[in-house]
Parts: sequence; structure tokens; C-alpha cells
Amino acid sequence: MQEAELVTPGEVLGRAAELKAGKGAYVAPHNKTIYASLTGLRRIIPPPTDSADQRPTVEVTGHKAHGPVPEPGSVVIARITKVMARTASADIMCVGPKSVRENFTGIIRQQDVRATEIDKVDMHLSFHPGDMVRAVVLSLGDARAYYLSTAKNELGVVSAESSAGAAMVPISWTEMQCPLTGQIEQRKVAKVEVN
Amino acid sequence: MEYVSHDGLRIDGRRPTEMRQLRAQIGNVSKADGSAVFEMGNTKVIAAVYGPREVQNKSQQISDHALVRCEYSMANFSTGDRMRKPKGDRRSTEISLVIRQTMEACILTHLMPRSQIDIFVQVLQADGGELEFISRTRSACINAATLALADAGIPMRDIVTSCSAGYLNSTPLLDLNYTEDSAGGPDVTVGILPKLDQVTLLQMDAKLPVDIFENVMQLAIEGCKAIENYIREVLLENTKQLEYRRGL
Repeated sequence: MQEAELVTPGEVLGRAAELKAGKGAYVAPHNKTIYASLTGLRRIIPPPTDSADQRPTVEVTGHKAHGPVPEPGSVVIARITKVMARTASADIMCVGPKSVRENFTGIIRQQDVRATEIDKVDMHLSFHPGDMVRAVVLSLGDARAYYLSTAKNELGVVSAESSAGAAMVPISWTEMQCPLTGQIEQRKVAKVEVN
Repeated sequence: MEYVSHDGLRIDGRRPTEMRQLRAQIGNVSKADGSAVFEMGNTKVIAAVYGPREVQNKSQQISDHALVRCEYSMANFSTGDRMRKPKGDRRSTEISLVIRQTMEACILTHLMPRSQIDIFVQVLQADGGELEFISRTRSACINAATLALADAGIPMRDIVTSCSAGYLNSTPLLDLNYTEDSAGGPDVTVGILPKLDQVTLLQMDAKLPVDIFENVMQLAIEGCKAIENYIREVLLENTKQLEYRRGL
């Protein structure tokens, strides 16, 4: 590993002609010098061998880890809060393996619930408030919510409570059964890999 | 009254180019994203930074950079007589604005669009007691805010340091204390980005001829550079402690 040096904001890390500015560093346009913007360890990362720009990247890793933020393409776990005729709202709880530190809201639209027969989807037969779903982030959406999608086999409801209050068991990709009463409820169920 | 004796000593025994004692600690408010306590002589200030976080008032959200908010207040017990209105009066509003503009100039706000950074600064102890003469809290507040922002890991162009200087008995004096400030002479407060050599704050009370003003401002800038060295030491020491505790 390269030698790691502690730097504070404003310290010179190098020249823009020799290095690229990564996270925690920035280039001052007037003199083309790279300065640190965080307090932490300075690290130089060698360039990928196939890229045209062969400058190594300098970055500064700080100590304050901010919580994860959903990005398009990331798999999230969310809890459904509201189910309406054409959309369902959900509270995003985890991004990948990490739990978020702020509240993020997501929306699952009727056409994003599943991959087949998307205009015949009944939202109330796919989700219920309180269900935990695994979804993928489609885009940053509008100011109010991220757009989520469950249109894959491994996406959908992973955990749900029946009206009797017990954790339901999935029996097919559209049905879950309550172990206490035997009642079958309809959901868009995620296919969880069993190893 | 004689503020500088004939052998060059001030009332409190300092030389004209000597600063008061600096003390700083980081991380006092554990719930905040970053916090710092900064003391310059008898003036003691605590700063807490929250952010970047989601904008609470959606109408104020800015789509391409972060919103920086600052609130300055003085604790009721900070001056000799208990203060009746610690914030919301004109002086506090003005200082809040000054600190916000100074810090906003150095935070890389374009990296955090649609989010908000809150800086809260409170004076715990103000040197002297009279409201009108507590302009020195301005410098301590900016230094404390810089440390708190660096502790919060918010990306900045450089650290901002601030210091003040005055002119009494025909001598430029660095870092006036309460008695010297009450003399009614000019008081120049400077805030700079030391490594980039840029001035972000310049305020003065009273009047000075331009050539003397340049000397006094230069002295204040040197005071800022000395504070810069101290702040960088504190940040590096704090980071080293964190590294040891993580076993690196």
C-alpha cells in the first residue's frame, strides 16, 4: 500500500498535470493545483491500465462516514407505507447491506411492479402497508421520492404480516400463506435464493 | 491612558505582536456531525455543525448547491450581567450573517446539491461584559466554526482563520483584549483562507489612515496564520487519536 500521510483542508497535494483529484480533493482552476478538502489520510491510487488518462488519482479519506444514499441501480429494502390505485409509497430502510441514516421515500408505479402484463396489475394484490420489499432504484425521481421497481424474480415482498398478525410464508410468486389461520393472501413475492 | 509601556509591554504583559492563549477541542457535542470548542484568551465559543442533511424547508432548497445556515447566540451567563435577549437582536443577526458568508465562501457547496448545512455557534464566555465591545467573539466564532466543519468532514477549499488587530499609542496591537478594546481605538477583524492567500472577511470599527490600516491588517493576517498552524495541529492530533483507536 502506498505511504499514507495525514492532511488538513487547503494543503497542496500535487499538480493537476500529474495527478487527478479524487474524493476529498479538488483542483483550483486558477493555478491548476490540487488541494485537500477534508482532514484525513492521503492516498494515491494508480490509474486503471486500460484508460486513456494515465494520471494516478489522489484522494483523502476522512473519518466521518456519512450514511449511504440510494443510487440508480442499487438494490434497496423498503417498507411499504401507502398503497393506492396506481402507485405504492415506501420508506427506504437499507441500501445494499447498510441501513440509511436519513429518511428516503420511494414510489413503485403500477408499470414497475412486475415484468409481464404490466397494465393488469392490481396494486392491492401486490403490496400491503407494512410489507418489507426488496426493490431496485430506477432513478432519482422527482423532489418527493425515488422511483423503485420490483419487476424481477428476486425483487418483491420478502416479509409480510397476515391480518392475524403472524409472519406469512411464501408459497408462490403471487401468494403467501398465514401459518396460524391458513389464509392465503396475494402479494408480488420475491424469489429468495436458498443456499 | 498608556496601553503600551515604554519598554513595549501591554497591560496584560504581552508584546504588541503576541496573541492570547489559544485552546481548542474537537468532538464535544457527540450528537452533532461536527463540533468544536475554541478559546482565545478569556473568550470561549462552542460551535456545532449538522449536515449535509435534507433541507427542512423545501421552498429554500437550491438545486445545484448546498444551503448554508448559521445561527449565532450568546449564552445568558456569558457576560457579567445576565443577558436578556441572547439571540434575535440586531447584533446577533449581523454576526450570524457574517459567519455564514465567511464559511460559505470556503465550503465546496456544489458537491452537495439540495442539502443543508447548519452551523450553530454559541458564546459561552465573552471577555469583558459590555455588549458593544464584544467584537472579538467574531474571530473566535469563525475559528470554532472552521474546526467544527472540518470535524464534520464537510469538504472545504481551505480552513478559514480569523484574528483582529488594533492601533493604540501609535502601535499596531495584535488580538486586543477587553481593556484595550474599550479604549475606543480602531479594531480590524480579518478572516483569511491561509493556504490560498485569500481574504474572506474584513471589518473595521473607527477610522484609520490607509497606510497605517495596511500595517494593522498585515498584523492581523499574521495572527491568522499563527492560528492556522494551531488549528492544523489540533486536526492532525485528533485524526491520529482516531487512527490509534481504530488500530491503524
